Amino acid sequence: MKISKLSLFALLTIGAYLVLKIVVPIIGRFLHPGTWPLIPTSLLKMYMLFIIATILLYLTSKEESAKELISPIKATLTDPSKRMLRNIIFAVIPLLAAYITYSSVAPSYDAPVELRSIHPAPPSSANIYNKSYNLNSLKNPLRDDAANYAKYVKEGGEVYFKNCFYCHGDKLDGKGHFYQGFDPQPLPFMGTNTIAQLSESFVFWRVATGGPGLPKEGAPWRSAMPIWEHFLSEEEIWKVAMFIYDYSGNKPRTF
Amino acid sequence: MNIKKILRLQYLLMVTLLLILSYNIAEAAKGDKEAGKKVYEKKCAWCHGWTGAGDGPAADFLNPRPRDFTSGIYKYKTSNVDNPFPYEDDIFRMISDGMTGTSMPFWKDVLSDKDRWNLVAYVKSLAGLEGEPTAKVNYGKQIGSSAESIKKGKELFIDRCSECHGDEGKGDAMKKLKDDWAGNRLWPRNLTKPWLFRVSSDPKDIYTRISAGIPGTPMPSFDDPASKKKLTEEEKWHVVNYVTSIKNEARRIKEGDTVVKAKRLAGELPKDVNDEKWKDVESTAYPLVGQIIAKERFFTPSVEEITVKAVYNDKDIAFLLEWDDRTNSIPGDAKAQELADGELNEDAVAIQLPVTIPEEMEKPYFGMGDSSHPVNVWHWKSGTTKSEQSIKVMDSTGFKNIKTRDKSNVNGKGSYNKGTWKVMMTRPLKTDNKDDMQFEEGRFTPIAFATWDGTNGEKGSKHTITTWYWILLKPPTGSKVVFIPLLVAGLVFGAELLIARSAQKK
Repeated sequence: MKISKLSLFALLTIGAYLVLKIVVPIIGRFLHPGTWPLIPTSLLKMYMLFIIATILLYLTSKEESAKELISPIKATLTDPSKRMLRNIIFAVIPLLAAYITYSSVAPSYDAPVELRSIHPAPPSSANIYNKSYNLNSLKNPLRDDAANYAKYVKEGGEVYFKNCFYCHGDKLDGKGHFYQGFDPQPLPFMGTNTIAQLSESFVFWRVATGGPGLPKEGAPWRSAMPIWEHFLSEEEIWKVAMFIYDYSGNKPRTF
Repeated sequence: MNIKKILRLQYLLMVTLLLILSYNIAEAAKGDKEAGKKVYEKKCAWCHGWTGAGDGPAADFLNPRPRDFTSGIYKYKTSNVDNPFPYEDDIFRMISDGMTGTSMPFWKDVLSDKDRWNLVAYVKSLAGLEGEPTAKVNYGKQIGSSAESIKKGKELFIDRCSECHGDEGKGDAMKKLKDDWAGNRLWPRNLTKPWLFRVSSDPKDIYTRISAGIPGTPMPSFDDPASKKKLTEEEKWHVVNYVTSIKNEARRIKEGDTVVKAKRLAGELPKDVNDEKWKDVESTAYPLVGQIIAKERFFTPSVEEITVKAVYNDKDIAFLLEWDDRTNSIPGDAKAQELADGELNEDAVAIQLPVTIPEEMEKPYFGMGDSSHPVNVWHWKSGTTKSEQSIKVMDSTGFKNIKTRDKSNVNGKGSYNKGTWKVMMTRPLKTDNKDDMQFEEGRFTPIAFATWDGTNGEKGSKHTITTWYWILLKPPTGSKVVFIPLLVAGLVFGAELLIARSAQKK
């Protein structure tokens, strides 16, 4: 069966749209179980623009192919026997245009979208506990003391369950009983895509300086993470870092 | 060996396998307490304690406190009134599904069935519990909900339940309740928010609670033959139908619904909190959580949600703030003092706004602003026996830099009724004060809220907060919204005609 070039154009466009809209999230779900990562609408629009342009380029690359693509459109416009269809199309397209315009000019209560960087690049050095730390070379000093590893983890757990769990969760899944009240929502530690991607000095910096210590791209005005150097000792922060890595079965990034 | 023999052997083998399998299933169902102990120490001890006494490191930061397993008392059970202890299925369900409105999460996503059954065996062993109860609650024949059944249920509810749960079921009655474990303070359930029911809001589960009671708490079993309050099966279903009918959907937090939808009114703004004009205004519900970012922090709030409406006209803007609070906290009042656990403070509510509406994403720090981004706070207090309700305006650039103005240009008036505070705040849209935020139509403006429950020890920095949300003063739609799309439609149609004509000419 030979399909017309116009149908081919429609099929390819719809196919590409479905891949972006459904197949990509399915792959994402496969890579990160329990999630359904959608492509943001603005990006989707941009991809679709490029895809449509590419399909048109492909379909009009040869003279006769281009003619074939245009002929059904031309026929609809000129053929007297297709008058009815023509009238319908001529009525529908302006209505559609009016509707799209209306939905973009009508005032709506849809909140503005705010973007932020979840793991902004750390500064090379940071002032914590009135001391200057080089975050590139900073190491957890307790990790060297392997004999006391289990003790530190347990002590870190106690720090966690007095200070962190009401946001970051009893299960370290970012769903503590206060999680719903904050935006951005607390970071989960389970799985391999949060703390496993971070070095321990990054964790130390994020905990010690809290939300207000974020650079601008991290939206420090929104984060509810307290400035923990006001509440915890340095050692307590290193212990709680050891606990969250141990509990979640992750290892700090060391490269 | 003939075929018959082989078949018989196969048959034997199958029976043996089945026997082994069913034996394993039976064993698995019972659970292994030693294996359970290992899971318990990794996952549960942090709250419930290493000896199971409900005294883990997290315990002091929780309300309700974690269960003490050494007592053997379990709140949620389906066994009948003759059986003080739950079925293993009941414990298994609480571990699997968690308890809504508490810190107890559902564990079915991270622990296998086997792990959870092992946990059941272990927590039972902590109180030396053995065996299963002898009988379940008798559900009789469920009566479906109807106007008639709800009416009957309401009468029974007023007679049997309102003493604790309040006339309107918001758990606001004037009784000081304690639990049987360590005399911890308890509050009756607010029945108008079924999405916070610990087990579930399924009618059958509500029926179970009425029938079995909630052991360890003052919630009695209404099946107790010795009690004058005993209800028949039919009566219990009527009460269930009444309870499910008083749900207040407006109080439910809808994910993604973050905007206070200020409505423009042509004439006067509402006069008070009960003005009819508030009826048609859309409300938005926001979650409230403890103020845990700055000293002194607060972990155990009693209020978990606030509902907000707003209206405006040419001159002024008015907010209606509503939240369920079980107590009207009036310092100096003997009855109010009796309900408080310690110091009794005023109830209060606050709105926070940035002084400058942000042009871009950057806002003031959501906790009382920051040095380069000041905020306005409108702070209403409920008053004492000696002083009236009051409202103050504060200028803040951070937790430690809060200045209260001598004179407030915001009006505030509140009213408490049957477990709900309603407070109205009004201010001119524009003021002469450069430290005030000037409201603008059509611009998304950050807004945040806070509440204080004076009976719950909330005062100063100890209170609930929200993160930044939005308010939009939605301008009247006007002619532009109709005109522009029509123009676009006309242009497109014109273009179509041109294309058609040129195609037909060729």
